Parts: sequence; structure tokens; C-alpha cells
Amino acid sequence: MPTMEDVAKQPREQRLARLTRTADELAAAIRGRSDETLSRRPDPRNWAAKEVVCHLRDTEELFMERFGMILGMDEPKLSGLNPDRWAEERQYLRNDVNAALAAFRKRREESLELLGKLPSEAWRRAGIHATRGKFTIEDLLTLICWHDDNHLDQLGRALEGKA
Amino acid sequence: MPFAYYARLSRAQQKIYRESDAVTEIRLSHPAELHPLVGALEEALGSEQRVATQAATERLIHGLTEALGIPRVTVEVLAARPHAQWGELHGLYTVKAGQRPKIQLWMRTAKQKRVVAFRTFLRTMLHEVGHHVDYTLLRLADSFHTEGFYKRESSLFYQLVPAARAPGSRGVKSVEDWGQVPIPERLARLEQTPTDLARLVRARTDAELSRRPAPDAWSAKEVVCHLRDAEEHLSGWMRTVLANDDPPLLETATADRWAEERQYLRHHAGAAWQAFSQRRDETLELLRGLDAAAWRRAGRHTRRGRLTVDALVALMAWHDDNHLDQVARALAGRA
Repeated sequence: MPTMEDVAKQPREQRLARLTRTADELAAAIRGRSDETLSRRPDPRNWAAKEVVCHLRDTEELFMERFGMILGMDEPKLSGLNPDRWAEERQYLRNDVNAALAAFRKRREESLELLGKLPSEAWRRAGIHATRGKFTIEDLLTLICWHDDNHLDQLGRALEGKA
Repeated sequence: MPFAYYARLSRAQQKIYRESDAVTEIRLSHPAELHPLVGALEEALGSEQRVATQAATERLIHGLTEALGIPRVTVEVLAARPHAQWGELHGLYTVKAGQRPKIQLWMRTAKQKRVVAFRTFLRTMLHEVGHHVDYTLLRLADSFHTEGFYKRESSLFYQLVPAARAPGSRGVKSVEDWGQVPIPERLARLEQTPTDLARLVRARTDAELSRRPAPDAWSAKEVVCHLRDAEEHLSGWMRTVLANDDPPLLETATADRWAEERQYLRHHAGAAWQAFSQRRDETLELLRGLDAAAWRRAGRHTRRGRLTVDALVALMAWHDDNHLDQVARALAGRA
């Protein structure tokens, strides 16, 4: 799997194209799987496939908020995130995976629409991330691509019972 | 003393006019039961979204017609007021044979297309409801704008918004009213909410907690989940305001979108309450550690304008009140 640095070297069009495929790839991966399989954690600390889909849905909303912050002011401080807390609080395991995927697909379409409309200078605007430091919109796109790859991989493993 | 047009009316019409003028009040036996609907309408109108405003208006009007024991009306909320030679049209009540009477309301001004002030909108709504009351409750053959008519409209208005008569008095406090409440009292309100909420939902079955009082009105469980997620969201704004100078305060979803996306109806209410309670403790810990300067820090909200930490706490207290009432109603099967 490519690292963040590898992904960063890809042309922007390639990264945007990656974003357009993710919902379909998720759909293909979970198709025909029982709720039991989708809800099975490979071990007590690692997410089930269903939790991965819910995580992608909720982080997509967060990414949009970050774009909004960076576009709305100069170098905002971007807060950290605790994905395990979300999984627990928002009760991911009780979700219907297809509804979660549909919600992710809709959010992703909205993200792509926003990114598609950005003027070229906007890509250099930045926020200050708690752990990653200065982070441009360009960097954020790279992060989302890598994040997609990472979690698609994790979802595949979870379905095979591997952490 | 009748209005000038009285003299131009026929004798039969004058009789109706006098009957109308003689009734100066419409009493609701339990006005407090409608207060949450009023709060919900204020919130919906504030969101500037027509569909949400129409739904909230419908619920309030339905609540009124039910409380008065009169037939339902069809409700339509439209965007910009039409221009008319006599000025802007604010609302309209129409009756057609064989159809349910209809109330139409416009939520934006004709020229500036600005959303009308909440109390203005509510007044207009009660004005149109007043015509319906004339025909169905008072059984008048016509509905004239008499002094009695306007007094009846006012009597309903003050029963629905008691704070309008005595600002800061007991009853439904607006966000502005909460802003006047001393900070320790506001924090006490916030601290009390998880306990109040637990009292309402404890010992209820999942079926009771999941039952929506109307197809488009949240069940008690959905309100608990909403409070949990709103707590994260509003305290997130507070943290953003504390960490940045004059940041934008963004909304990434409507509350209804969250309810659907995050599938509130599938959640466990007890676990949702626990998470809300934990988040609330963290908010209080954050707020208790702030100095006076921090309370004055602000962010920018597209709709509400400049929001200080102080104002966000008032918003939170108002939001708690509103949704606690909503939980009680949902459990009683009322929207």
C-alpha cells in the first residue's frame, strides 16, 4: 500500500479520481456479506467492516469541516480526532451498513463537488494540525486518498477475520 | 368603538362584527404543552430552511387546533412574500368548498428576501389561525378584523410566548433571556440536564423510547442522540473560538441529517445518554476553567452572526430546555 509520501507525488487528477472510486469499491467489498460477518471484529480492539464504513462516513464530514475552516480563515488550528470514541458513542455496530455506505457516498459527492470548484490559489491555503503541523488543502486531499486506501485495506482484512 | 369600516357594513354584517368584537380572549387550557413547538418553530425559522419551517409551523398550528378542538387546516409556508399593491402579503387564510381550509405564510420579505423575525412570523401565523377560530370555534359567518379579533390574536401570542410580556420571567426562556441569566445559574442548568433527562427516559422500554409521535417528529431516543451529538458540536465550537481569533463556526449538517445519517433510531438510548452525560461533564469542566476574557472570545456564524462563548452557553441552555420538553412530549405521544 502506498505511503502518504507516495500518494503526495501523484498528480491531483489522479488523487481526485481515487476519491471518486471509493464508494463503489466499498460496495463491492461488502456485497453479499451477512450482517454478522460485517459486524465481526477480528479482535476486541480492531474494527469490524461495518465500523470502517461508518468511520469513513463520519470522517468525510470532518474533512469538509476542515476545508471550510481553512477556506474561512488564515491558518486555523485544526483539532485532533478520536475515531474510537466516535465508534463507541455513535454506536457504529448497531448501524445498517448499506445506509451508512449511502450516507458516505452522498458526503463524498459533496466533497468532490467542493474540491472541483476550488480556485487554484485555494489549494495552497493551510491550517495548523495538532500533530501534523502546517497542512494545506492539497495535503488534505492526499490524506483523504491515503485514508481511503488504508481503510479499504482494513475492511478487506476484517472480512477475513484479520486485524 | 368599532373601526371606521363598520359603518359601511350591512346590518347582518354589523351583527357579526359586534359578536366578534365582544370576544377578547381565547384561553388555552395547557399552553405550556405548546411551548416546545414554539421553540422548535423559532429554531426552524432561524435555520432559514423552508421545509423545516413548514413542518414546524404545521406542528404548532395542529397543536393549536387540537387544543381548541377545532378542525385541522392545511399549512403552506412559502419563500418570499408576493408584492401587492397594498403592500406585502404576510399570510392568507382561504376556504374552498369541499376542501380543508388553508393557511399560507411567507417567511421572507418581498424586497430584501430576508427571513422575517420570529415573533412577526408567529404573530402572522396566529392572525391566520384567528380567522379559522372565528369560523370554527366562534361559529361566526364572517371573520372581520375587529378590535376583539386583534385582542384574541394577542391573547394567544402571550400564552405561547409568555416571555414576551415579562422578559426573563419563568416560562420559556429565549436564547436572549438565557443570555441575561448569571453565569453560575446557566452552568447549573447545564449541569442539571443529564439528571432531568435520565428522569424522563429511565425505566422506559426501547419501544416507547423509539416511538415517533408523528412521522416527521423525533422519538425520545432520537432527541437523546441529538443532545449527545449537539454537545460535541457546540463544545467543539467553544474550543474553536478559544483556540482561534474570530474563526468561522461551521455547520456540516442539519440536525435531521445527523439523525438519519447516524441512524439514531438504531441506537441504544441508555448508552447515548451515558455519552451525552460524559460530554456534558467535559463541557462544564472546560467552562469552569475559563477567565472573563475567554468568555468574551467570539466566532462568526453565518446565520447568528458574532457568537461569544457566553452566547454559546446561553444557546446551549436554551437548547437543553427545548429538547427536554420535546422528550417529555414524545413520550406522551405528542409532536
